Amino acid sequence: MLAAIAQRVARRLISSIPALLGVVVITFVLMRVLPGDPAVFFASGPSAGKQEIEDLRHKMGLDQPVPIQLAHYLVDIARGNLGNSLTTGQPVVQDMRRKLPASLELTFTALTIALLLSVPLGVLAALRPGSLIDHAVRMLCTLGVCVPTFVSGLLLIYMFYYVLGWAPDPTARIDIFASTPPDITGFYLIDFALVGDWNGWWAAASQLLLPAFTMALFVLAPLARMTRASMLAVLGSDFIRTARSLGLKQHRIIIAYALRNALLPVLTITGIVFSTMLGANVLVEKVFSWPGVASYALDALLASDYAPVQAFVLLMASIFVMVNVAIDILYGIIDPRVSIE
Amino acid sequence: MKISRRTILLGTTGTIAVSAFPRRGHSQTRAETLRYVTGNTINTLDTTMPGATRESFGLSMNVYDRLFSFGRKKLGDNWVFDAKTIRGELAKGYTVSPDGLKITILLRPDAVWHDGSPVTADDIKWSLDRAVSAKSLAPPQLSTGSLTSPDQFRIVDAHTVEVTLPQADRLALANLCVPYAIMINSKLAKAHATADDPWAQEWMKTNTAASGAYIVESYHAGESLILRRNETWKGSADGKLPDFKRIIIQTVPEAATRANLIERGDADLSIDLAASDLPKMEKAAKVKVVSVPQTNGFTHITVNTQMPPFDNPKVRQAIAAALPYEDMFKAALFGRGFRLYGADWKETPPDGNFPQPMPLKTDFDRAAKLLAEAGLAKGFSTTFAFSAGQSATAEPIAALVKEALGRIGIQVEIQKKPDAEFNTLESDKKLPFYTDGATAWLPATDYYFRLYFTRDQRWNFASWKNTEIEQISAAARFETNAAKYDADCKKMIEVFADQVPLVMLWQPNHDAVMASTVDGYTYQFYRQADFRDLKRT
Repeated sequence: MLAAIAQRVARRLISSIPALLGVVVITFVLMRVLPGDPAVFFASGPSAGKQEIEDLRHKMGLDQPVPIQLAHYLVDIARGNLGNSLTTGQPVVQDMRRKLPASLELTFTALTIALLLSVPLGVLAALRPGSLIDHAVRMLCTLGVCVPTFVSGLLLIYMFYYVLGWAPDPTARIDIFASTPPDITGFYLIDFALVGDWNGWWAAASQLLLPAFTMALFVLAPLARMTRASMLAVLGSDFIRTARSLGLKQHRIIIAYALRNALLPVLTITGIVFSTMLGANVLVEKVFSWPGVASYALDALLASDYAPVQAFVLLMASIFVMVNVAIDILYGIIDPRVSIE
Repeated sequence: MKISRRTILLGTTGTIAVSAFPRRGHSQTRAETLRYVTGNTINTLDTTMPGATRESFGLSMNVYDRLFSFGRKKLGDNWVFDAKTIRGELAKGYTVSPDGLKITILLRPDAVWHDGSPVTADDIKWSLDRAVSAKSLAPPQLSTGSLTSPDQFRIVDAHTVEVTLPQADRLALANLCVPYAIMINSKLAKAHATADDPWAQEWMKTNTAASGAYIVESYHAGESLILRRNETWKGSADGKLPDFKRIIIQTVPEAATRANLIERGDADLSIDLAASDLPKMEKAAKVKVVSVPQTNGFTHITVNTQMPPFDNPKVRQAIAAALPYEDMFKAALFGRGFRLYGADWKETPPDGNFPQPMPLKTDFDRAAKLLAEAGLAKGFSTTFAFSAGQSATAEPIAALVKEALGRIGIQVEIQKKPDAEFNTLESDKKLPFYTDGATAWLPATDYYFRLYFTRDQRWNFASWKNTEIEQISAAARFETNAAKYDADCKKMIEVFADQVPLVMLWQPNHDAVMASTVDGYTYQFYRQADFRDLKRT
């Protein structure tokens, strides 16, 4: 069984290489087609003249034809070198190593919150379709989708930080006056837990709560609506009727029989939601000064800083592939009848 | 209530216990720490790196020393830098030979680098050599002060360096005050130099070899940076150490969040809040707002003088007469700035300072008449561009320009461009008509004219070619006679006012918002906070 799964994963990963390569090439070319010359942008000091711009272009290799630049870039990637960021002045790999855990931690927390809220809400709504609860859930979901994250984020900050003073100041991953945990995994919650510093853990967690809630609100709708729809379908099916007629306990019917069978589409949606969250949480990262990959990539894009943007797209594509593989494996665990081949 | 010895003891112990555990447990108290929040990032510790952000310049001024520094003066209630007084920073003093060709610089004998080793003439020579030879943004800047070759710097003895100039350049000393002219601990830097990188430029991006008022304690590129005071610093004007022991510089991208932090008292200083928030904050008076016109900058509306129909001075004069100055000033800046239009002089300016208010007034009849004289009575159509990064102020300007020029028959299409694209188009001289801003580090009239109105280079916004300006600005640079220099400057301003290659609008205010306990904020030519001047009252 395990061997079969490993084989399947390996095959999936290998088959995704052409897609990744395509993504790399297309991003590379797109960045160079976009108007805006990075050399001009970065030589914008008070005295930079034509000569400095030319020198910089030469140093960045931009004076060579695009195919040659691409070849150099592919060789670099194969060596694990994603280039240097001009906006931060650091190697992109190093930047990513610092920033990806921040984004992942935020996204995982937000997704957990979203799932903990949306699945019960979806189930409740499905149990009493058309009832007050159903409408309330629908309204909450609509609100979550309609209000852009930067608005809900700023509102939450205004409420919980500025007016009530409950939340810590919404800047970065941990209070600037507190010390950061030792760099083990890059996930603050895990690192603090590993060294047993529970004060630090709480500081990091309280800092994480507002941005995670902001993001969770936004993805509540697809998850809750999908849970409701697939629960409705399952609840109307024969085996539930049989279970009811056999007099099984209500919660056993709902959780063990109905929910487990209804989870497959929810899982699919969760995979998609996770990938989009990771890339699209740039607004949340900006509002909460969260040092994540998305805001990093946006800053780079605005400055025509090629290397970080290319690395970001490649990273997102790779994560997308991984998430899909993980979801496939989970399918098999939730529903043994499904075996993706 | 009876106060016994025991109560007192208990109370004292309690107080000590509480005060021994300050809120967040670090060695300096919150009062001795300044937390500065900014929307931008510090991307390098070496300011001469291409792409260095303005925040990096600001940091460098606090971490590195230069040989000299500008003084400061009062403008109204506020402090601004004063480029006319130059004092020693790492230098103790200097003498200039009568012909102006030789500057002898005397170093502070007791100055030390952050690692404790003494500052020597070798270090200074190496730093100056680096500033004129390494491939960076420093050489073009220093060349504006006739500093171009290592041969010009000579070590006289352990604490004396001599600078030789080919001509008596008015800006040679001033160029040693700018953020590019950092003085570096050469032994430390050389230890990290490689054959490919003889000036240790890679290493210095993330490390410092400095002697300045603050020492970098931790640096997370793009997030935060913590400074601690250098207790052995000697470079201040009054010989005292700066007031703040610790500085936290933090990047907070969202302006609304920065405003919240300051208002809640969690942060102490920010200089890039949204202009629309400032009047409200001033009124609420919970925080202190220091507003100073950017005395070395200007916002302008420019045409490309090489593109028809803007190659005709009459067309330019017509546009200058049609612009709704006061409306733009109110709409774009809420009146927060210094007007560079509406002056009453004709032909000759009252003095040789620049930028100064120009005799520009809204007069549609005159505009229509000038346009007719240019043979374009029916008008024409053109585009008006601005960069997205400046849209808060440029968008209202663009709308008002479009409306006003429509009245004299000029059809304007507004183009909002992403910053990178706008910069490229501007640099390639492909924009016919646009708005932008500029600040010069060295506010000398001849420098402005050389930088912004001559030569085929990026900062000649209007691509203006005028032989008279070229000749006068080239000569004025080396003019030692003050009266003659002043006459040259006036003449250039006269030609500029007549030909209007670009229209000066205003100097926007530099707005620094700080906790009400913070005092001494100075507007600096590099438009960043100088932590050395700040104190908590």
